[in-house]
Amino acid sequence: MSNGNTDATNGDTATETQTNGLSADDFALYDRQIRLWGAKAQEQIRNANVLLVSLRALGTEIAKNLTLAGIRSLTIIDDEPVVEEDLGAGYFLRDADVGKPRAEAAIPRIQDLNPRVTVTSGGSLAELMSKDQNYYAAYSVIVACDHDFTTLNVINTGARVAQRPFYAASIHGMYGFVFADLVSHEYVIEREQSNMPTTIKPESLTRSVTSTSSKKEPTGKTTEIVQKREIYCPLLLANSSPLPKEILSNRRKLKAVPALLPCIRALFDFQRTFARLPDHTPQDAALFISLAKNKAGELQLPQDTLTGDFIKSFMQNIGAEIITTAAFVGGRLSEDVLNVLGQREQPIQNFALFDFETLVSPIYCLYSPPPELVMPALNGHVGLLNGLNTVAVPIAEGVVPAAEVLELE
Amino acid sequence: MQRRDRGTVQAVGAPLTVRVKNSRVLLIGAGGIGCELLKNLVCCGFGSGYIPPNGANGIPSPKHTPGITVIDLDTIDLSNLNRQFLFRKQHIKKPKALVAKETALPFNPAVNIDAQHASIFDPQYTVAFFRSFDIVFNALDNLAARRHVNRMCLAADVPLIESGTTGFNGQAQAIQKGVTECYDCNPKPVQKSFPICTIRSTPSQPIHCIVWAKSYLLPELFGTSEEEANDMVETEGDDQEEVKKLRAEAQALKKIRGLMGTSEFAKAVFDKVFYEDIERLKSMEEMWQTRKKPVSIQFDTIDKLSAAEGAALASQDQQSWTLVENLAVFCHSLATLTGRAQAGESSIDFDKDDKDTLDFVTSASNLRSHVFGVLLHSEWEVKQMAGNIIPAIATSNALTASLSVMLGFKVFRGMLAAESETATTNGHTMVMKPNNPPLGGSKFIFLNPRSTERIITTQNLARPNPACPVCSPVYAELHIPPVDADGNGMSTLQDLVGILIGNNDYAHFTISTEAGVIYDEDMTDNYSSPLAELGIEPGSSGFVTITDDDEDPRADLVLSVTAAPADGGLSIESHISYGKLPLKPVPAAPPTESGTAPDVKSAMNGIALLNREKRKRGAGDDGDDEVDAAAAKRAKAAPTASDAVVTIDDDGAILLDD
Repeated sequence: MSNGNTDATNGDTATETQTNGLSADDFALYDRQIRLWGAKAQEQIRNANVLLVSLRALGTEIAKNLTLAGIRSLTIIDDEPVVEEDLGAGYFLRDADVGKPRAEAAIPRIQDLNPRVTVTSGGSLAELMSKDQNYYAAYSVIVACDHDFTTLNVINTGARVAQRPFYAASIHGMYGFVFADLVSHEYVIEREQSNMPTTIKPESLTRSVTSTSSKKEPTGKTTEIVQKREIYCPLLLANSSPLPKEILSNRRKLKAVPALLPCIRALFDFQRTFARLPDHTPQDAALFISLAKNKAGELQLPQDTLTGDFIKSFMQNIGAEIITTAAFVGGRLSEDVLNVLGQREQPIQNFALFDFETLVSPIYCLYSPPPELVMPALNGHVGLLNGLNTVAVPIAEGVVPAAEVLELE
Repeated sequence: MQRRDRGTVQAVGAPLTVRVKNSRVLLIGAGGIGCELLKNLVCCGFGSGYIPPNGANGIPSPKHTPGITVIDLDTIDLSNLNRQFLFRKQHIKKPKALVAKETALPFNPAVNIDAQHASIFDPQYTVAFFRSFDIVFNALDNLAARRHVNRMCLAADVPLIESGTTGFNGQAQAIQKGVTECYDCNPKPVQKSFPICTIRSTPSQPIHCIVWAKSYLLPELFGTSEEEANDMVETEGDDQEEVKKLRAEAQALKKIRGLMGTSEFAKAVFDKVFYEDIERLKSMEEMWQTRKKPVSIQFDTIDKLSAAEGAALASQDQQSWTLVENLAVFCHSLATLTGRAQAGESSIDFDKDDKDTLDFVTSASNLRSHVFGVLLHSEWEVKQMAGNIIPAIATSNALTASLSVMLGFKVFRGMLAAESETATTNGHTMVMKPNNPPLGGSKFIFLNPRSTERIITTQNLARPNPACPVCSPVYAELHIPPVDADGNGMSTLQDLVGILIGNNDYAHFTISTEAGVIYDEDMTDNYSSPLAELGIEPGSSGFVTITDDDEDPRADLVLSVTAAPADGGLSIESHISYGKLPLKPVPAAPPTESGTAPDVKSAMNGIALLNREKRKRGAGDDGDDEVDAAAAKRAKAAPTASDAVVTIDDDGAILLDD
């Protein structure tokens, strides 16, 4: 795989400084981040091609962060015309850009952040919807923001067939989420050696330790290098997966699940049914509330989780873009993408929620094992498919078969 | 309200949007966090309220002009560009504050930005200056400036949003006098220092050899010896006999300085520090009973590379040099530094961005590492250890700056709620508002990297520590009347003592400034001195502290100095009365900091044994900041019962190396 990094092997550590094809200029410019994640991770970042779908507030932040970090190329798909509302959080846009396609208008200013990165427009969203897995295989990571459930699923499916990591995210005023489907991802965590030895075993339904080693630091401390693997499921399955057992069986943890989770699921449903966001009308409010109640029930949340005040606040925020939320959600998503490229650190598994009214941001593993077999009808051409609700996705190479996963309990 | 504001209005409401538009915001620092903060403030419209043109139609410009003031003393460096996104390559060496303003202005044409290329310690930044803002955002990279701003905000009673990042970690908190703990309510970790004998006689880690090269050998050869280093201290564990011998050793090295510029210089230095001194150490058998004995090396027995090869090696900073290569770079850097010294540079100090000093420190420390059997390192690695470089990435800064502005919104929401409460109270019905938590529900927020359960951890803001020496005093203003054209009306120390006794009911007290005690009952030498001569004058950022000497003392009174109104005399704010001051809190047990004794002051051939903070930019601190390790540990160790989200699993542990 010429462009992908997902299959690179590990073993080297961040503190080993090796030239690895990075130039002296690379070391000088990226000095402070190479000191954090090492030359090898930086080289993998430098070889990465990222596809970013949507360049509203959230996409703007992600484009900025990834370009600064020094990926090889950033391809942005957003052919919607710039409207005046975009200027608030879209700081790569100017008054004169109103009416132009969003990506094309912003790209010169994004490019200006770092001449070493190639920033280009990837055309229209409509074209993307008909792309096959070969298209997605050219990218190391695919990120889609602010799109409805159906669109996200098309992109997720394309990325998964090509075995490429996929991220979806949205913000709604003070609220937001990040979803990750990294198919099967191996990564390294370095930490100070503790007294308890780390054993090679599954740690959760999706995560297992695959190997450990250690190294002596100049300071005399010992650093443990733990290699782990996370397996993922696509958004379609995550969206109907129950909360993990350790949450459902713990009253305190279950009580702490924010009402934001059923509300995001309700919003997905609403968009799927009506192909638009809910308006501030009594009819839409009633529809949305009943959807949210359904979702809260499905998730087995306590009766008092979903309050009228919260629904009111959430509905008020739907569709709103504010830079602070965009910067946080986009910043955290970018951090995850860069770590995934460098195959370091714990990635999000698989649904992170952001509520900046109450300042909570939990991560839940909403996982159901994907079906084991590639459906013959799929034939690699996801763009030809309609009725995504019934589409099964192929299991990726290296994914632990469902039966094996289920034995973990 | 413009259409570009729609998102903000929808998310936080119109009243809060209008409030922040008409606010005055002070942003201190335009680095990693500062660039992100400025972008967020500008895009949300902070300080973008309309300012009528000066003097138009005879209307004077309003006293409270909306806007963002950004202050930074630094200039732009190449290594900033990976995260300080308001800067480009063509901006290198230009002032950060000015370029940040230039780049951020087009983000929102309505915004008013005042950029100042200056140090926040400068005297023009008085308490009155701080008081002219609704809120202050810190985006600093060093402890000294943080502490200073913390104190100024306490004195001015302006809310402060404090923040910091290290690697993937980050944090933000809101601080307000009398409401929350302040930045200094908890002891902060002090800079790490090493016992002198470890550095000079028994190094066992690379950092020991680096400190030796940077803080002993380089200053002895090229520094002015009075310069104090702060990473070596004489501790109780140090052998006094050995310390005396080390002193003599340093004297001998000084004599070698006389050979600078001659062909014997490199050999003389080398054989002195890597042969003679090592041979002397080796002879002290008791020192090596539990340690590996060093192996001395001699200049003449090591192969020599050419000067050109030495220079070429110095540019290869990723690979670890061999003994021969280190010697070549050592000779190369010694020659370069000699050239600079002879060209008139009287003192060459270590600076991680001064390549010649870095070459010298890398090669000298590696040669010493070789002698002591310590692992050799590449120049790139030595730079990090010698320069205290803190890893810094764009995303942590973006996350933290976002949290800062989120807290800013909450603080303004709290102000709005308090304002509407006042309005209600003045009406005929009193409506209790139980939902108005301090600072609009602000929290102490930490990023939680590596956790599988949560992205952020929050803690309720703690109450002020009653024993905090910084926020427990009462802050007030001292008004000093202007001197008339004939020089009459000059206020003296005697006048100040007079009003403290006469107007504010004090009896036994001590007056001190930053320079020390200027008055107590047994020290009246300054009695007739004009206050201005004692450094107490309007327009200075210093404070005057009145300490009560009574048996059950009242809290300290800390005065900032302003000009009295035209017809006013020397006075302290009228509400300050001795009888109303709270009692001074009983000081807690003295903090025991990490083994070393920071107050031991004993100079050994110019090596400072004092552990103090660095204020100088560029020499030590870098990165965007430090996370408050103590607070992070507190968050982990002591979850508040009321706050379900503070429990952190093992994966979420925040590990910080000292």
